[in-house]
Amino acid sequence: MIDKLFFNFTRLSALLILIIVAWIFVVLFNHSLEAMHTFGLDFITKDEWAPNLDKFGAYAAILGSIISTTLAMLLAVPIAIGVAIFLSEIAHDKIKGFFGISVELLAAIPSVIYGMWGLFYFVPIIRDIFGGLGIGLLAAGIVLAIMVLPFMAAVTRDAMNTTPDILKESAYALGGTQWDVIKDIIIPYAKAGIIGSLILALGRAIGETMAVTFVMGNVHKVPGSILDPTTSIPVTLANEFSEADSSLYFSSLFGLALTLLVMSFVVIAIAKFYFLRKARRAS
Amino acid sequence: MTAVQKRVFINKIALAFSTLSALIALGFLFWILGVLVMKGISALNWNIFIFEGAPPGYAESGLKHALVGQAILIGMATAIGVPLGILAGTYLSEYGKNSKLAHSIRDISDIMMSAPSIVIGAFVYAVVVMPMGHFSAWAGAIALGIIMIPVILRTTDDMLQLVPGELREAAFALGAPKYKVILSVVYRGAKAGILTGVLLGIARVGGETAPLLFTSFNDNFFTTDLNEAMPSLTVTIFNYATSPYEDWQQLGWAAAFILSMFILGLNILGRLILLAGKKRK
Amino acid sequence: MASIIDIKEECSLHVRNFEFTYKGAAAPSLKKITMPIAKHSITALIGPSGCGKTTLLRSFNRMHDLYPGNSYNGEIEFEGRNILSAKEDLIHLRTKIGMIFQKPTAFPMSIFDNVAYGMRLQGIKNKTELADRVEKALKDAAIWKEVSDRLKHDANGLSGGQQQRLCIARAIAVEPEVLLFDEPTSALDPISTQGIERLVIELKERVSIIIVTHNMQQAARVSDYTGFMYLGELIELGETEKLFVTPKEKLTQEYITGKFG
Repeated sequence: MIDKLFFNFTRLSALLILIIVAWIFVVLFNHSLEAMHTFGLDFITKDEWAPNLDKFGAYAAILGSIISTTLAMLLAVPIAIGVAIFLSEIAHDKIKGFFGISVELLAAIPSVIYGMWGLFYFVPIIRDIFGGLGIGLLAAGIVLAIMVLPFMAAVTRDAMNTTPDILKESAYALGGTQWDVIKDIIIPYAKAGIIGSLILALGRAIGETMAVTFVMGNVHKVPGSILDPTTSIPVTLANEFSEADSSLYFSSLFGLALTLLVMSFVVIAIAKFYFLRKARRAS
Repeated sequence: MTAVQKRVFINKIALAFSTLSALIALGFLFWILGVLVMKGISALNWNIFIFEGAPPGYAESGLKHALVGQAILIGMATAIGVPLGILAGTYLSEYGKNSKLAHSIRDISDIMMSAPSIVIGAFVYAVVVMPMGHFSAWAGAIALGIIMIPVILRTTDDMLQLVPGELREAAFALGAPKYKVILSVVYRGAKAGILTGVLLGIARVGGETAPLLFTSFNDNFFTTDLNEAMPSLTVTIFNYATSPYEDWQQLGWAAAFILSMFILGLNILGRLILLAGKKRK
Repeated sequence: MASIIDIKEECSLHVRNFEFTYKGAAAPSLKKITMPIAKHSITALIGPSGCGKTTLLRSFNRMHDLYPGNSYNGEIEFEGRNILSAKEDLIHLRTKIGMIFQKPTAFPMSIFDNVAYGMRLQGIKNKTELADRVEKALKDAAIWKEVSDRLKHDANGLSGGQQQRLCIARAIAVEPEVLLFDEPTSALDPISTQGIERLVIELKERVSIIIVTHNMQQAARVSDYTGFMYLGELIELGETEKLFVTPKEKLTQEYITGKFG
């Protein structure tokens, strides 16, 4: 009978996850209704964010999220794959250990620290090279890229390591070089896992708040160039949630939060269910 | 150049690029850590631990409020997240196993681990802060706790599954009821792993800023009243670093240094425990 | 001390005082091995688990070099040079000495691309030449009839036995001198095993074959010469029939009669 009690406790705790997730969607949805009714599709398509006029079109924020994330991925993906190749195929034991730990330490540094470093050390460099404020889309993209790099490298390396040694040896036995084995054997074999890992990292990058808030600018305007300050969904939420003063304002912010959650959820689910499942089935 | 020579050449270039990437990544690590250590250590002094926050320009200004507040928030979040996470992980490993429900829970939990933490903050704002009418430590702790649960759930599930089935069978064969088997045999066998999971969960949550921004909020006052806004190290870093005041920025670096050392320390400790556990086997 | 037969015919490889130590090991795993490998014949290596037969096999194409830290001593002579020297071009060596592994290792690509892989590595691009040589290799591996109509299909769709024959086709497509077989049928069913054994016997017309097997009967069925290894030493090497019927060493006899495994 204690047995039954224990069983129920554990099952309840486990079900709690599902309950909380569903609850989050419901709550966000309910609180965004006012904004959705007032603005309709304009909420997403109109670039007009004027809190004092009670007008909220989040196009700039959404665009900012998309562009900064895309920029970050363009920068981070090649380097992450390079690091993953280095860690799984090139490095010898001791170096592998050292680099492996370094990558994991990088991943453990809180994002607020990346943001701070970005603001004080990277933004001045951009300012020096390109002029302007330094703060903006480019800075955000680069800092975001550095932030996702460790996670991306680690999971890509894990995907590559699933390739059986015997398969690699077969290619070497035919006279292949390391690069031959990487491009002809490892990458095709681990393809699903690699792509899944990259998409998973994308899902995380979409939701990244603190690293980007320091260097993006919080300006609700579609940027004219990559050097202009702008905003993204998480940056808007971070800067404005505690200042919202009307129920429509709040509702709009909840609408943004819901949009962000859906975007991120969908991307991560695609990575997980399509690519990573394929990887598991292949091995 | 023969075809073989060409391949060997391309191989060298590819390997060079990979090594370059690794050095770039390492370079950023050293740059960020280096900056952190240099600016952080130079900003450290005893004032930080003695005084609470003050307006810019005041000499008697410190981080006591933020340090204590962070500890309170983390402590509360751990009290929420760890038991629930361990119990949920236990269900998955010992009862649910490979059932459809268990797989769904694992999948959803995994997704939640990568989902934006600021959204959790918005959720908690709606269900805790709005009804309460004001910010509070409760709200912050609940937000952090929610983030912690999937992390602990995952590691507990994985670690418990590593305990060999024979151990369980031996306990059952002696007539022990299932809950006793779990408590006395399985948990003990996975002790190191679960502990590591908890430490990593705390490290993950301890560095979070976004979910606290509008749940526990932040201010400069030392408090232990859980019903009020609770200052935190992470939000303080955000506020001070983005302010135009030099002395606040200094405090921001000191806070960043302390926070990072704490989190890196937890990570290293967690891995050492796991290694020690493996060696004993 | 060991009884090593003196082979009068032409030899592909000569192993002389070969010693091999794994990285970090206290003692060598292979101790002063000396043996000839006859051309156009099949030499089997048998012995209990851990005797070093696979370690020896993987030394011939320097597979151990993939894992830094191992060390060689002594000499393995091939084509008039010591292939253990640091100057040896490993890529070239591996096109002359090929290997078939314990489990079928079809690459994640089409059947055609699998067989063509080694040739493409060597720079052969001519479509006709590739197609001809792929067809010849698949025929020599006795699998052409089964796959000729689906060359573009993924190789992973083949059965285990078919995949192993595909791997053999892939290895002989580059026309090596020596083929190393590392327990090639241990993952296969008896019928596929028969097929592979027949194929190996046919192949010896063209290549010298060294086969490691934990199955004594397979060695007896297939090989011309058999080497018995124990704890890193080559105890005896002789003509297969003679070794199995009248072994010269006591240890060999004990192994063959099953006194230990």
